[in-house]
Amino acid sequence: MVRIVVPTVWTPQGRTDFEGTPGPLDEVIRDFVARHPEFGRRLLDADGAPLRYVNICIDDDLIPRHQRAAATVGPDAVVTILSPMAGG
Amino acid sequence: MGEMRRVPGGMFRQGTPEWVLDWLDDADQPLPRLWFADETPQFSTVVAPFRIDRFPVTVGEYARFVRDTGYRTEAERRGFGLVYTEHGWVERDGVSWNAPGGPGTGGTEFDDHPVVHVSFTDAQEFAAWCDKRLPTEAEWEFAARGPDFRIWPWGDEWDPGAANTAELHAGPLTSLAAWQQWWRVECARHGPVPRTSPVGAFSERGDSPFGCADMAGNVYEWTSTSSRLYADTVRCDPTVAMAMGRYRVIRGGSWMNFRYQVRCSERMHGDPGGWSSFAHGFRCAADLQR
Repeated sequence: MVRIVVPTVWTPQGRTDFEGTPGPLDEVIRDFVARHPEFGRRLLDADGAPLRYVNICIDDDLIPRHQRAAATVGPDAVVTILSPMAGG
Repeated sequence: MGEMRRVPGGMFRQGTPEWVLDWLDDADQPLPRLWFADETPQFSTVVAPFRIDRFPVTVGEYARFVRDTGYRTEAERRGFGLVYTEHGWVERDGVSWNAPGGPGTGGTEFDDHPVVHVSFTDAQEFAAWCDKRLPTEAEWEFAARGPDFRIWPWGDEWDPGAANTAELHAGPLTSLAAWQQWWRVECARHGPVPRTSPVGAFSERGDSPFGCADMAGNVYEWTSTSSRLYADTVRCDPTVAMAMGRYRVIRGGSWMNFRYQVRCSERMHGDPGGWSSFAHGFRCAADLQR
């Protein structure tokens, strides 16, 4: 099962861990938003494309912006959403 | 280029003490204690004597650098920059250091405002041009508060007229919803342009013990320090933990923030891979033996 990790401050309850589905990274993000539309504004643009300024790690690897479209998420991977400015 | 202040070296306890986390817990602000954990625990740090810019680097100073070198920022090269609209962060075409809200939003009236839309590399290039460097995180905090702990550069009592924060513009803010309401109105009136102020506009009232201005608010400031936790045992937000070793420390908060994000020991972490925004700038430092 894919685990998707978001910042503590994205939910009022401070929940950080969510389940996701494996597949192409962009589709994983779209599917995550479909299940949790409250995150849509933070992850997708007005046309429904994943926002490229939001960084994404698959396990311990930060996926460069230009490699996102070709990246794939394995069945047991951890996908961490990393804002370009973290913390604060 | 840029007035500098001499900061004597010394030992200090870098970071945030537990009593401040208790205070944040009790304060009427929306962020959980875990969000601030990367500021802890305090630890002893020694800084050598150094010099640091009294003000953030201005648009006028950056313009001289660009005229002298022909440098093009990363935002200019890629053709767009990041601004916060009523719908959140958006990459907007034509946004750069001399057009901070997009084409037509710059001008010489902003020459004494801090420059924004500068990436970590853009800041380093400027610093090298004027034979300076970015401050380390420890130097920045020491310059902001001196050897003794204080919440803000001027002391432990919040003073809304001492810094350019969102609370200067909107009045006291206690929730993200209130902030968003303020920003929606601002965007409707003026568009998504930064609410920076001329550097030094809050001096001496908002100055640090060493006479540095705008260390709370106005613009976020890059430091040279690679992000790391202060102790291996710290449990912090998992996405902030992922920034460690990948990002660079950013200090000072900005005009976008509440009072709680412009504290001297507040930490943020920025992507050094070309990212910048309309609220991010920097100041320079230099070794004393020059």
